[in-house]
Amino acid sequence: MIEIKNLVKRFGDNEVLKGITETIHDNEVVCVIGPSGSGKSTFLRCINLLEEPTSGEIYLDGNLIEEKTINETRARMGMVFQQFNLFPHKTVMGNLTLAPVKVKKMEKNAAETKAQELLEKVGLGDRGSSYPAELSGGQQQRVAIARALAMDPEIMLFDEPTSALDPEMVGEVLEVMKELAAQGMTMVIVTHEMGFAREAADRVFFMDQGYIMEQGTPEEIFENPQNERTKSFLSKVL
Amino acid sequence: MDYLTGIATAAHGIGMTLYVTVCAILIGIVIGLVMALCKMSRHAVPKIIGNVYIEVVRGTPLFVQILIFAYGIPYLVTAVSGGTASFNWKPIVIVGILACGLNSGAYLAEIIRSGIQAVNKGQSEASRSLGLTSGQTMRYVILPQAFRIILPAMANEFVTLIKETSILSYIGIVEITREGMLWAARDFKSFPAYIGVAIVYMCLTIPLSRLVAYLEKRMDPSAPKMKKRKPGI
Repeated sequence: MIEIKNLVKRFGDNEVLKGITETIHDNEVVCVIGPSGSGKSTFLRCINLLEEPTSGEIYLDGNLIEEKTINETRARMGMVFQQFNLFPHKTVMGNLTLAPVKVKKMEKNAAETKAQELLEKVGLGDRGSSYPAELSGGQQQRVAIARALAMDPEIMLFDEPTSALDPEMVGEVLEVMKELAAQGMTMVIVTHEMGFAREAADRVFFMDQGYIMEQGTPEEIFENPQNERTKSFLSKVL
Repeated sequence: MDYLTGIATAAHGIGMTLYVTVCAILIGIVIGLVMALCKMSRHAVPKIIGNVYIEVVRGTPLFVQILIFAYGIPYLVTAVSGGTASFNWKPIVIVGILACGLNSGAYLAEIIRSGIQAVNKGQSEASRSLGLTSGQTMRYVILPQAFRIILPAMANEFVTLIKETSILSYIGIVEITREGMLWAARDFKSFPAYIGVAIVYMCLTIPLSRLVAYLEKRMDPSAPKMKKRKPGI
């Protein structure tokens, strides 16, 4: 469970997050939607301290997320980026085994066995020896998901995972994410894929101007939005 | 044929020149890495150490640094001990390796720093998000990519250093230039002697420069180009 209490983030004079209080429960899939510059990505990046909050606290299972213990915390949360950020100098297998071996001190063989299982799960069982540059965008993003899963995370954070993909590759990545959701993974997903949010999310946050303006089930947000901003945003994107 | 003799004489020094250069560049890479990390540190003390080192070394001529090492330090040891201790560099080639290594360390520090900064920020974020520490991230993710980016610049530094070691002839290290000087002094054939020296240097540097050009072409074109270093004295 992630509890976010009065989270504020400023970049200089620019206040990107203006006080966010929310709880994300275990096994919950939360999609964060909203216009560009609304603070969605910053919100997500604050959860694993890739951005340091200006004020406010975030708790993971009751423990404050702080710099002192951040490496342990991050090992429990996987993150998937818009730009994949695979390690280009390592093979797909090398990408998947680096953190388990170095952080969790897993045996290399055990890490490779697990990595192979994960690659098969994302449909790339035969690409372990490829380098990221040899893969398509959709394949790279599926490897990135597998890389995060290799650490056995309790929570997965997705920062616009399909925004950098060619349209015909979006589906394969969303499929993998749906499967994860079906298995009960706790997920926080910043996305522009409204169809996916409607289908896969348990709850949807609509963010604008540094606030969560409205939150609720996909039905509540998409069928019957209450907030004027939500209505105007959805009328433009749907 | 005097010119052939000049080349052959200078060629005797190739071993020493390459020995000094290779040892110096290895020392330089270690120091350069340490100083680059110091300079990029968030903490004040290492940052100051890195900055001062790089500024001092790059702000003074290599020749002066060599003089300080070769003659200044033995004097200092004698002076500090009140004349009871004496110290001499033996063999003198140690001075050449140390001075050139420490010198190129400052230049390599800037090259390594630029390489580290050229690695996409997303790489370190991805690594940190997996729970790797900043040290592990540097070692397993950033440095392997940075070294690939700066390989041409480092090879360039190596070529520069080959030429710069010529001033070690002044402190009596018998490398390429010194061989030429000795023959010129013995037989008074200065022009063939120094032309021979020049040709031998070219035989070393031109193939290496070709290699650098080849490496540069193979590297990512978006990688920043390194500044050319000052010409040797």
